[in-house]
Amino acid sequence: MLSKKLTLFQAALLAAALAVVLFPVFWILMTAIKPPTDWNASPAIWMPSQPTLVNFKTLFDPDALKEYGVGGVSQSATKAVIGSLLASITATTLSVLIGLFAAIGISRYGAENKSTPLVILSGRMFPPAAIAVPFVIIFSNIGLTDSYVGLIAIYVAATLPFSTWMLKSFVDDLPREIEEAAMIDGKSRIKAHLTVTIPLIRGGLFATTMFIFILNWSEFMFALVLSYSNVSTIPVQLAKYVTATAGTLYGVQAALAVLAMVPLVIVGYLIQGHLARGMTFGAIKQ
Amino acid sequence: MASPPGPTHPADAPGLSPAAPHGGGKPPRAKGGNIGLALTLPGQIVSILVLVIPLLVALYMSFTDWSPTRGSLFDAEFVGFENYSELLIWDTRFLYAVLRTLCISAVCLALEFAFGLSLAVLFMRRFRGKSLLFSAFLTPMMILPVVVGYIFWMLFQSSGPVNQILEFVLGPDVALEWFRSAPLAVTAVIITEVWHWTPLFFLILLSGLNSVPENPVRAAVILGANPRQVFWRVVMPTLKPVIIVAFVIRTMEIIKLFDEVFMLTRGGPGSATETISLYIYKLAFNDFQLAYGAAAAFLVLLGALGLIHLLLLPVRNQLLEVKR
Repeated sequence: MLSKKLTLFQAALLAAALAVVLFPVFWILMTAIKPPTDWNASPAIWMPSQPTLVNFKTLFDPDALKEYGVGGVSQSATKAVIGSLLASITATTLSVLIGLFAAIGISRYGAENKSTPLVILSGRMFPPAAIAVPFVIIFSNIGLTDSYVGLIAIYVAATLPFSTWMLKSFVDDLPREIEEAAMIDGKSRIKAHLTVTIPLIRGGLFATTMFIFILNWSEFMFALVLSYSNVSTIPVQLAKYVTATAGTLYGVQAALAVLAMVPLVIVGYLIQGHLARGMTFGAIKQ
Repeated sequence: MASPPGPTHPADAPGLSPAAPHGGGKPPRAKGGNIGLALTLPGQIVSILVLVIPLLVALYMSFTDWSPTRGSLFDAEFVGFENYSELLIWDTRFLYAVLRTLCISAVCLALEFAFGLSLAVLFMRRFRGKSLLFSAFLTPMMILPVVVGYIFWMLFQSSGPVNQILEFVLGPDVALEWFRSAPLAVTAVIITEVWHWTPLFFLILLSGLNSVPENPVRAAVILGANPRQVFWRVVMPTLKPVIIVAFVIRTMEIIKLFDEVFMLTRGGPGSATETISLYIYKLAFNDFQLAYGAAAAFLVLLGALGLIHLLLLPVRNQLLEVKR
């Protein structure tokens, strides 16, 4: 396309759009560092006069939480943070590993089941509330309700289409001849994949891993319906704060929200060149 | 742009979409078939165990009158299509949830497309600090849906900043109760969703614009086309497959709209913002009508598959033309 310089009017439009995009982010960051008196002031306070980290401390201190006198949320966020890390990291590792095998199988050996796309589409479009129902039943029969094993199994299955198709698009980009050359040198197929294919797509492997991590870390619905007292994740904990006498814990909740989003945004920036590929199952390569 | 231009040209973009039946275009290899099978086996097993079996259980359940208070699922009475006919004929709450979800989706996707395309076109211009701005504009889509819901819940509080800005612009006494009025609550949901996902349209459309071949554009300019004609007659048609991919991906996700609405309104006031997912969630986990909820989910799945099929129809024809 023929590129011209931005006119003044267009620059103004861009600036306005930027303000709209960044304002909500600014707001959550500011709320997280507001002292309790500023949380729900009327009129709302945009920038706290005395920024504080007390909300982050309260979040992990059950006694401090109790002082706010909110029943039901006196549970500190420690468990949710550990739970989120455990579930996301394990599920991401498994999903990418299984997806990597499948990607090589599909890309290099055409081992693609004809019904695969339909199953994937159905799985992605089926309202999670409804697919959660059979899980609740099956899991309660085999004792996996309210367990990390059950949650991780669902996360792996839910992200597998993304990891498989994203990795497949990276393997597709790699010329076959490179592996064939390794095989001529006397390496077996498996060895050729291990020593040639996988090292050569390590950039893609990293991007895929981060992308799957974003998906798992963000997941809310399954964690909500499959967790009672043993299992907790950050999104579920966030929703719990809303339930309790709404609004009382603005700053603490915002602090948890910031803890949840900052790692994701950093990871997102790291792989921004591959986000389109991930979101579109590898259909669009940037 | 930060990353180098890929080998893709728009015409083969939909070909790589999982929904297209023609696959990646490479012929399958006969030899090494067993290795291929072995490599995909773990994925197949996981999909069957954690996707196909639950779907089948749900399907069976949707033909019964089971609920957790009635003991084991296999003792439940088989009622045939009763749940389905109830949903389709009598359940106005379901009908409204479907219509509401479709309306909200249509408005959101139209706005996301318009804003995303405008932004992407602006990004085709030359200006300084482009890569930094690019990252900034992508930020919303990297934030967790639950957090996005919470942020906008705060912004739309009656003493929150949105009302403050409105009062500043429109004068005092505007004080809107965003979550107490049906149209305002729907508006809040739409604004939230558009803010969250416009970046995805921007990202996909920008990568599409970047891969529009230069020669036809040059030729059109030489032949005397004005910029508007170049855009609508040359650029947009080549962009069509990319646009459809963006719509298909977003349709799949927005049909399930849940997290943000759960945080914002819980479907309220009344059921003014109750989406399909929220309705099914309430059926299953508040009212314990699990079988009925499963039936609703299968109706939604059928509808959604039909919708995606319709969306893909135009590109499918285009694909065949390209192949000939």
